[in-house]
Amino acid sequence: MSLTADSPVHSSSSDDFAAFLDAELDSASDVSPDQHEVENEEAEGEEEVEDEEGQDEDGGDGDDLDDGASDSSRYYKILCEAWISSRGEPAETSGASLALDICSHPGVMGGMCIRCGQKVENESGVAFGYIHKNLRLADDEIARLRDKDLKNLLRHKKLYLVLDLDHTLLNSARLADISAEELYLKDQREVLPDALRSNLFKLDWIHMMTKLRPFVHTFLKEASSLFEMYIYTMGERPYALEMASLLDPGGIYFHSRVIAQGDCTQRHQKGLDVVVGQESAVLILDDTEAVWGKHKENLILMERYHFFTSSCRQFGLKCKSLSATKSDENEAEGALASVLKVLQQIHSLFFDPERRDNIMERDVRQVLKQVRKEILKGCKIVFTRVFPTQFQAENHHLWKLAEQLGATCSTEVDQSVTHVVSMDAGTDKSRWAVKEKKFLVHPRWIEAANYLWRKPLEENFLVSS
Amino acid sequence: MFFHIVLERNMQLHPRHFGRDLREKLVSKLMKDVEGTCSGRHGFIVAITGIESVGKGLIRDGTGFVTFPVKYQCVVFRPFKGEILEAVVTMVNKMGFFAEAGPVQIFVSNHLIPDDMEFQSGDVPNYTTSDGSVKIQKESEVRLKIIGTRVDATEIFCIGTIKDDFLGVISDPGANA
Ligand SMILES: [Zn+2]
Repeated sequence: MSLTADSPVHSSSSDDFAAFLDAELDSASDVSPDQHEVENEEAEGEEEVEDEEGQDEDGGDGDDLDDGASDSSRYYKILCEAWISSRGEPAETSGASLALDICSHPGVMGGMCIRCGQKVENESGVAFGYIHKNLRLADDEIARLRDKDLKNLLRHKKLYLVLDLDHTLLNSARLADISAEELYLKDQREVLPDALRSNLFKLDWIHMMTKLRPFVHTFLKEASSLFEMYIYTMGERPYALEMASLLDPGGIYFHSRVIAQGDCTQRHQKGLDVVVGQESAVLILDDTEAVWGKHKENLILMERYHFFTSSCRQFGLKCKSLSATKSDENEAEGALASVLKVLQQIHSLFFDPERRDNIMERDVRQVLKQVRKEILKGCKIVFTRVFPTQFQAENHHLWKLAEQLGATCSTEVDQSVTHVVSMDAGTDKSRWAVKEKKFLVHPRWIEAANYLWRKPLEENFLVSS
Repeated sequence: MFFHIVLERNMQLHPRHFGRDLREKLVSKLMKDVEGTCSGRHGFIVAITGIESVGKGLIRDGTGFVTFPVKYQCVVFRPFKGEILEAVVTMVNKMGFFAEAGPVQIFVSNHLIPDDMEFQSGDVPNYTTSDGSVKIQKESEVRLKIIGTRVDATEIFCIGTIKDDFLGVISDPGANA
């Protein structure tokens, strides 16, 4: 503080100007406490020295303002101009107080209202960290944005599509977890077939290898014409952005719509609360149902894509990974190709020009339900040796799933039954099925129907005795 | 706004630099340390233009390091509320757009974009007037007015508006395409 006493600012004849300077400098008072004029490379033990704006060694008698010879007086001149122009519009306080009366502070970024620029202390609302690290929006504002955005989107005949990354669009493994059988991916890149090489990435800086799911490029291209797409992953932000750049090297599909773990408002849950999209127009593709607790009706469950051995191991699968057998999911008939057909179907049902109802009131969840009901339509299913004894059959997830897929379920066999779902070919009902020439299938047949969005071939799901 | 001001900083120097070119060492270290940084109070230090004085060094006990108080002239940039700035758009989304004026990041929310400009999603998100004559997208240059500033130790962030006379697009990268 030693220099403050000598500071010519305080002896200046221009008190107004000094006051202006103070006001301007204080307007930065939202700032962190780093206000020492003299910066120390090492703060502790150093004497604090104030130099203020006291460059005008002549005591500011006004005359040097005109001479412009020294740098410090030129600085003074600039400040003076700032001062003069600021008198025309004293925006600091009066402008803000005017706005205070009418502004509801719909959102806050960096501690300031996004509409009136006022400082806002209150930290309520929903954080949209993926847009900006310090952005929060009030519930009303989110509702307003959603409504406005939906109208806009529907006018362009689009819906929202939220995409999970891992096991849905791609598979990643840590470099350290690459097994001996998979080393060829790392070490013999040059000899890999083109289709594999162009979709396999070794990302040394994050110690990962990533394999994009077959068909993903076509999928994104086609889906982008029908949907506004989001990435939503439980992975961390740097990883999510890295994956987004692999999937979307041109930066045309996702833009700022990449949501990562840190953006979720609830632990271990993904929520549509941070998606600026009306729930009635959102479809979700994800391989994990449990994270979408509140939004199961929007979800299309994906069969997991396990390319790497470590991925299979992580999910307790005993089978060989695709990488170990040097194979891959079928491009034309894989999960992404079949789900694309479903998305196209849902989209065209939603925007069906024959529909007479108000488009703003349509709900894509209803359409999804309706499409799903077509998959096993006409099938009548009886279960045997699938549920634990004592289990209330109607509450079992396979029973419910079969019904969602459009099948009717029954506990008793009769001639109208089409499929007997069994874990054991030796039960009475299984033997009845064989005798009556009904289909006898493994429970995986129902799960496959759910993933494939069509009735799977029964002979691929035979029951072993 | 740009200012030419004098700032002071205590520079620590290792004894190995003591010698004939001590002053140059101090200056080059100073440039490296402060140019491009942001001081909460003064804004961004754009460039050092001269050294006013180098004070007496103070030997620090036990280390041999010496601390010199250095007064230097520099150009700083600091935006003020009410100031009009020209900035380049860096990101456009449904909440508004971000723009940069040198080191300063500015957010213009859709409340402060003229009502006749609508958000358009798609390959290149943008705000466009209904007749398509004016478009704001990434790389557009806009003239905006600052309505709020937040100056931190390391960055300056502003809220801006283009909802006023003579504000808005001054050059549109899509126009030549
Ligand atoms: Zn406000």
